[in-house]
Amino acid sequence: MALKQISSNKCFGGLQKVFEHDSVELNCKMKFAVYLPPKAETGKCPALYWLSGLTCTEQNFISKSGYHQAASEHGLVVIAPDTSPRGCNIKGEDESWDFGTGAGFYVDATEDPWKTNYRMYSYVTEELPQLINANFPVDPQRTSIFGHSMGGHGALICALKNPGKYKSVSAFAPICNPVLCPWGKKAFSGYLGTDQSKWKAYDATHLVKSYPGSQLDILIDQGKDDQFLLDGQLLPDNFIAACTEKKIPVVFRLQEGYDHSYYFIATFITDHIRHHAKYLNA
Amino acid sequence: MEEESGEELGLDRSTPKDFHFYHMDLYDSEDRPQLFPEENPRMRKEVVQAETANESTGAGDGKAQSDLREEVEELVHLYGLEDDHELGDEFVDENMPKMGVSEYPPYGMKRRDPAREQRDWRLSGEAAEAEDLGFGGWGSAGQCQDLREVYRYTHGRASEEYECYVIPEEEDEEEAADVFCVTCKTPIRAFQKVFDEHKEHEVIPLSEALESAKDEIHKNMYKLEKQIIDMENFANHLEEVFITVEENFGKQEQNFESHYNEILETLAQKYEEKIQALGEKKKERLEALYGQLVSCGENLDTCKELMETIEEMCHEEKVDFIKDAVAMADRLGKFLKTKTDVEISAQPDFEDQTLDFSDVEQLMDSINTIPAPSAPVINPQAPNSATGSSVRVCWSLYSDDTVESYQLSYRPVQDSSPGKDQAAPSPPIIKTKEIRSCEEAVLICWESGNLNPVDSYTVELTQAESPEASGVTESVVGIPTCESLVQLQPGQSYIIYVRALNMGGPSVRSEPATVHTIGSYFRLNKDTCHPWLAISQDGLTIIRSERSTPRREPPPSDTRFTRCVAVMGNLIPVRGHHYWEVEVNEHLDYTVGVAFEDVPKQEDLGANCLSWCMRHTFASSRHKYEFLHNRTTPDIRITVPPKKIGILLDYENSKLSFFNVDLSQHLYTFSCQLHKFVHPCFSLEKPGCLKIHNGISMPKHVTFY
Repeated sequence: MALKQISSNKCFGGLQKVFEHDSVELNCKMKFAVYLPPKAETGKCPALYWLSGLTCTEQNFISKSGYHQAASEHGLVVIAPDTSPRGCNIKGEDESWDFGTGAGFYVDATEDPWKTNYRMYSYVTEELPQLINANFPVDPQRTSIFGHSMGGHGALICALKNPGKYKSVSAFAPICNPVLCPWGKKAFSGYLGTDQSKWKAYDATHLVKSYPGSQLDILIDQGKDDQFLLDGQLLPDNFIAACTEKKIPVVFRLQEGYDHSYYFIATFITDHIRHHAKYLNA
Repeated sequence: MEEESGEELGLDRSTPKDFHFYHMDLYDSEDRPQLFPEENPRMRKEVVQAETANESTGAGDGKAQSDLREEVEELVHLYGLEDDHELGDEFVDENMPKMGVSEYPPYGMKRRDPAREQRDWRLSGEAAEAEDLGFGGWGSAGQCQDLREVYRYTHGRASEEYECYVIPEEEDEEEAADVFCVTCKTPIRAFQKVFDEHKEHEVIPLSEALESAKDEIHKNMYKLEKQIIDMENFANHLEEVFITVEENFGKQEQNFESHYNEILETLAQKYEEKIQALGEKKKERLEALYGQLVSCGENLDTCKELMETIEEMCHEEKVDFIKDAVAMADRLGKFLKTKTDVEISAQPDFEDQTLDFSDVEQLMDSINTIPAPSAPVINPQAPNSATGSSVRVCWSLYSDDTVESYQLSYRPVQDSSPGKDQAAPSPPIIKTKEIRSCEEAVLICWESGNLNPVDSYTVELTQAESPEASGVTESVVGIPTCESLVQLQPGQSYIIYVRALNMGGPSVRSEPATVHTIGSYFRLNKDTCHPWLAISQDGLTIIRSERSTPRREPPPSDTRFTRCVAVMGNLIPVRGHHYWEVEVNEHLDYTVGVAFEDVPKQEDLGANCLSWCMRHTFASSRHKYEFLHNRTTPDIRITVPPKKIGILLDYENSKLSFFNVDLSQHLYTFSCQLHKFVHPCFSLEKPGCLKIHNGISMPKHVTFY
């Protein structure tokens, strides 16, 4: 698959690039950002995938989070895809900010008119890694995933649905239990229809309950003053309870005074990158 | 003309006071200032000619231009810009002969060569926008003001600037040149782009061209400044090298002179010696020869005498003759028997002298060698630099010398110690249970082992299992107290002895103690232990036992915990990394962390700013984790309760971190200001036990923090 480089900027000794390609899963042109640390010049590096939240593109994370220094120091290749297919001309895709464009919810839609294009789950877990492994100096055996909000949900479900694929997972203010929150209900009914059993397959809290797999070490940061937390969109307590029950190691930090924004992400991104480096560079 | 005068009038606003004579009106007045008195008639003549010209705009322009040229020439002289030849010369050339009106139009038209354009550019100066120049108001005061300013600005700058660019000039009053043809590097009128040779050329707006001209100038200025700096640096460098050459020459000169003198002296000496030897030989030979000569003479005398006697005998009577003849024959026989030595004892030739110049050769050769260094100076013996069997010697080097190696030699000197009648002390006893160590040092303490005071102690250590099995023993002497902090290498094992020393000499070695510099070792400090806690024999397990009867609160104390059922460890006071682990029970209420030595013992751990700790409380089947300092804790949930907690104390980065060892999971990190040394602390809020593990080197996952 041909990659077209859109931009390249040197940052902390490495290169922050943005590429565009024709996606097979999503049937449209997709952009993604990739950071190549200095170490990538001389050898293969582990890959860390970042999934952004509602309304974001591949730009938000690379411009606002300030992750480059930590990624450079730990020698990690960081990949940040877009949050949904774009320009598909589906009726209703731009009607709301929490459904359709910029709100792919990292699922493979089964309902019309979304099912042709809205296959972000397969894109993130299959097509994109294959593309990255083929075109960049990454070690396919060492991959981790993290994200924010809807992307936090995406990271958790990708890790829980693919035991052993990711060495570590972490999240910022993730949507932990979408089947029970307004965002999740809206998105899942639109993408997956009314059969709630299909919904559970994309719900981290439910997936944990039947998680059979290898040890995961999950780090979650949540701003205490996050409006969406107070609105009941995120529901971390449910997830923590399920993990405690199933003895899945989680360290959940409720950060006093912090909200849902990229300022919150920027504050703790270094901790998360170090968390992943510990497993990716082991 | 009308346009021109309109021009002039229009530009009146910018007329500076001292240039108002350029105003057209004033050409006919007497106000013409003294500056250009001799020009007046000429100018006037031109003006008149121009006025009568009734030419096309080109003519007017031409006149105006030539006016300006004149003025420029004057200014050139006025401001001493004599080097601007191209400017002055052209004007002179053109002005002088070409006064005729008829010249103007073709003149004006012809003047599209770089030289004039050059001038025009200078006239326009900084603000050479097309609009300023309007329709060729060359004869105006405004232009001249610009000109003067331009000269002020460009005075002293490289003349090549003047060749770079062309600022558009106005040929015609209707259409000023307002674009710049990059290809021809000349300003042109916009419409010319369409026609003429500029059809295919790239054209940019005037302002752009101006900007790039300015940029170019600035670039060149910058380059020049840089060059100045470079040359200055180079000059400094040259000076330094110059001085160094002088110095080096001086050294070489000195060196050679001394060598040379030495050689000369040696040669002179050799000469003397040789001459003297020859003299002696001569004397010897002469003496030998003389001796021979003398004995020869004696021989001759004897022979002659005998001859005479024989001749006399021959004249005697037969009887006497026969008597004498027999005697004579004996005498002769005897005489002739004596050997006469006719060999010359000394040869006249002196054999060839071999001259031994080998030592001179040696001297000659050594001219090129490095002079022998001066003697080093041995430093006075430093404290703690000697052991019973070794001493550390340091010396310093004379800086001018080149040294390849040193030779150290020593000899024992008779020890003049006073009376050895005092008995040497007994060996001390190391308190092995109280040894504290980390990767870089060990703190040992001991009991004196003597009733009488001793002068000092010596600590001796050898690396266990070292390749030099003969044991390089390092020792620390002159220790006044019963404890010592010794620096060590990480990852090694050491055997330690202590000796006591007094006037009678050193004691024998104490019993050894072993130290491993892996991780940090500490033991619990019984003095700090709350009465309800028991410490195991090995000092590593803390037990709080069940008690059915309620217990009395102990009285307050400075060293012993009284409220919080806690105990502290004794960590070696060395800044660096310290790591230890604590085995806990999931259902246990415990607190583990660090605290300063003077942490209030009546308070809970973590309730003040002198302690940092992790507290686990298990209630209603729920695990609560707090990370306490000064009574505050972040809100943290941990889903899998740790069974073994790893604690990393990092003095360098001011951090205290907690880990779930079994999962290699990081739990939390405090940033703490550690101005003094801290000690591990442990408390049990409920009955149970905590088991401490130390001497563990940091696991890899911990190194990320």
